[in-house]
Amino acid sequence: MNRYDVVIVGAGPAGLSAAIEAAKNGMKVVVFDENSKPGGQLFKQIHKFFGSKEHKAKIRGFKIGEELLKEAYDLGVEVVLNAIVLSLHGEKELTVKVNDEVRHVKGDAVIIATGASENMVTFRGWTLPGVIGAGAAQTMMNLNKVRPGNKILMLGSGNVGLVVSFQLMQAGCEVVGLVDAAPRIGGYGVHAAKVARTGVPFYLSHTIVEAEGTDHVTGVTIAQVDEKFQFIPETEKHFDVDTICLAVGLSPMSQLLKNAGCKIVEDPKRGGVVPEVDELGMTSIPGVFAAGDVSGIEEASSAMIEGRISGAAVSEYLGYITKEELEEKIKVNEAALDSLRQGMFAPKNRGKLVEKTDEGIDVSMNLLKKGFVADEEIERFPGVTHRVGIHPVMECTQNIPCNPCQEACKKGCISIGSNITSLPIVVENSSCINCGMCVASCSGQAIFLVDEDLGDGMATVTLPYEFIPLPKEGTKGKGLGRDGKPVCEAEVVSVKNMKAFDKTNLLTIKVPKEYAMKARFFKAV
Amino acid sequence: MDESRRIKEHPIFGITEEKKEVHFTYDGKDIVGLEGEPIAAALRAAGVMVHRHTKKRDEPRGIFCAIGRCTDCVMIVDGKPNIRTCVTPLVEGMEVKTQYGVSDRPAG
Amino acid sequence: MIISNDRLRDIGEFIPQPDDDILICRCEEITKGEIRRACHDGIFTMEEMRRYLRNGMGLCQGQTCSKLVKGIMARELKISPLDLEPATSRAPMRPIEMEIYARDGGNVG
Repeated sequence: MNRYDVVIVGAGPAGLSAAIEAAKNGMKVVVFDENSKPGGQLFKQIHKFFGSKEHKAKIRGFKIGEELLKEAYDLGVEVVLNAIVLSLHGEKELTVKVNDEVRHVKGDAVIIATGASENMVTFRGWTLPGVIGAGAAQTMMNLNKVRPGNKILMLGSGNVGLVVSFQLMQAGCEVVGLVDAAPRIGGYGVHAAKVARTGVPFYLSHTIVEAEGTDHVTGVTIAQVDEKFQFIPETEKHFDVDTICLAVGLSPMSQLLKNAGCKIVEDPKRGGVVPEVDELGMTSIPGVFAAGDVSGIEEASSAMIEGRISGAAVSEYLGYITKEELEEKIKVNEAALDSLRQGMFAPKNRGKLVEKTDEGIDVSMNLLKKGFVADEEIERFPGVTHRVGIHPVMECTQNIPCNPCQEACKKGCISIGSNITSLPIVVENSSCINCGMCVASCSGQAIFLVDEDLGDGMATVTLPYEFIPLPKEGTKGKGLGRDGKPVCEAEVVSVKNMKAFDKTNLLTIKVPKEYAMKARFFKAV
Repeated sequence: MDESRRIKEHPIFGITEEKKEVHFTYDGKDIVGLEGEPIAAALRAAGVMVHRHTKKRDEPRGIFCAIGRCTDCVMIVDGKPNIRTCVTPLVEGMEVKTQYGVSDRPAG
Repeated sequence: MIISNDRLRDIGEFIPQPDDDILICRCEEITKGEIRRACHDGIFTMEEMRRYLRNGMGLCQGQTCSKLVKGIMARELKISPLDLEPATSRAPMRPIEMEIYARDGGNVG
């Protein structure tokens, strides 16, 4: 048997962060992960993260994974892959299957960071090849570099469904529609808006009737549902698709903790069956901790902070740091965690309809129902102003914990203030120099640089663009509205791509000036 | 080798790094895949959708979770049944067969 | 937990539904109808259900279906899913070949 100061199960954002913190404090750490690659789901996340600097905001998920892994290895953390933990019992002893042998391992403390598994829904044909989880789609395209399908229907409008839809398009797949039985979009409005403006239709209050095909999916029928989620007759719509992607939520993978005898509770606000934990993540068994999605479904950003807290907590539990040192670390991390748990999408607001922003502005109902803010609604948000000359237009309309735009603008044009969930505002008398950093830094791709009047009846709109092929200067096409429908003629007048933009290209299109506040995407014809 | 499903270029990852090609068989047919990629990825790239037929209902199944959890994508690999193809790396010369129940032959 | 185990509670007649033939447990191929009917046979807990129908006892060990089974049982038993205790989780947490398990030398090495 091998003994470690702390044994961590799961090498995702929480597990690795915990390992880093514990190793920094001088502990001998091992991390087991059943996958062949570490990083959990981070390496499948190719979008820029929300949050603030300390949450690694505006860095793409897979880069965060690389950073965490490097830090862990540099600190001498032992990461054992293809290692399946079979049991956790008694005196913090684990049996782990590694290759073709069963190893016995003991930790003076144990941190369980096993993450979550995908929920599923059933419908006729749901077992057909071609019906896949959203995670499967991400694995296929972002890790294996194979398109999961060509024409895809997405079920689920939470952040996973929205983000994966966008990623499918980035991988060159066609997304025929985004469907959700709920009457409102579940994820961030900005994630929905960047999908909607490319022309993907949203079908809220709809769900799948049937997946069609004999050997594999060849089509799908959806229909509208009433408030009791019953199909409304004669509302069926059919799509020819080869793939149906399911993104209907996550459940904590707490089985190992249950196996160990930890007190388990069912808490819908935390996403399902979770261990009872104290503020440091310690379960009912002293020395056994839980961190990340396993103790409540949240974002990877929160999982990393929870990991750090539990890493510090085990260090104190075994005497590697003092109580005072622990308190110091907790103070910093709790503040960061608290800021992530604010705003409209905070765990406490789960399932609630928030109708007004913190600023007292009516939330866009179009955004919740169709995925985009309607032209007549956009003007009421503080990031949307009209100026002479070029200026940022921030179509950020919900209170979410994110503020990289504020720092991105070195000219001080953008302000969020001390409350990270406040809507960004354009600072009076500031002067935009058209550097584009705000556009590239916005993880929600919600910032545009607009010059509303060039003097010749035309205007320019600079928009973020993360697709291939990248249109070239001089390319003619259509300006698409927020709803993804063509609204005007448009010509690409500039394409910018700098290292600091981190793969977000800045496309500047010239449109008739009456479309300056309407055209938000470009499609070459 | 049918390349249509492989992502050659990606807006975030750029040009996909070339990997060594390996040959394997799927139900006796020669297929080319990339060394070390999951068997399921090579099959999907080659257009194979059905990995197995279930025991009771004889229904087709394929990739579902792609992370080794749901076990729907299991096949017979080098004579061993129940191999999760989504997490098993492809090796030159592998013999991959459709699984029927737990056998390599359709029932009856 | 106690409510779900109240055997004297009347849950009414089994009424067939059009989607009773839809599979819930993908591994053991157990349908919605079978699970619903089992409730009327007197199966009131998730633990009993697994033993009765073998749902969640296949290769994936209930990782895909347990939440679905819970929902169906709760509706049939007319209780909240929160009142149904999840089935026991025991080692091994993942399927493992018997020969590997058998070779386990305990604490050696």
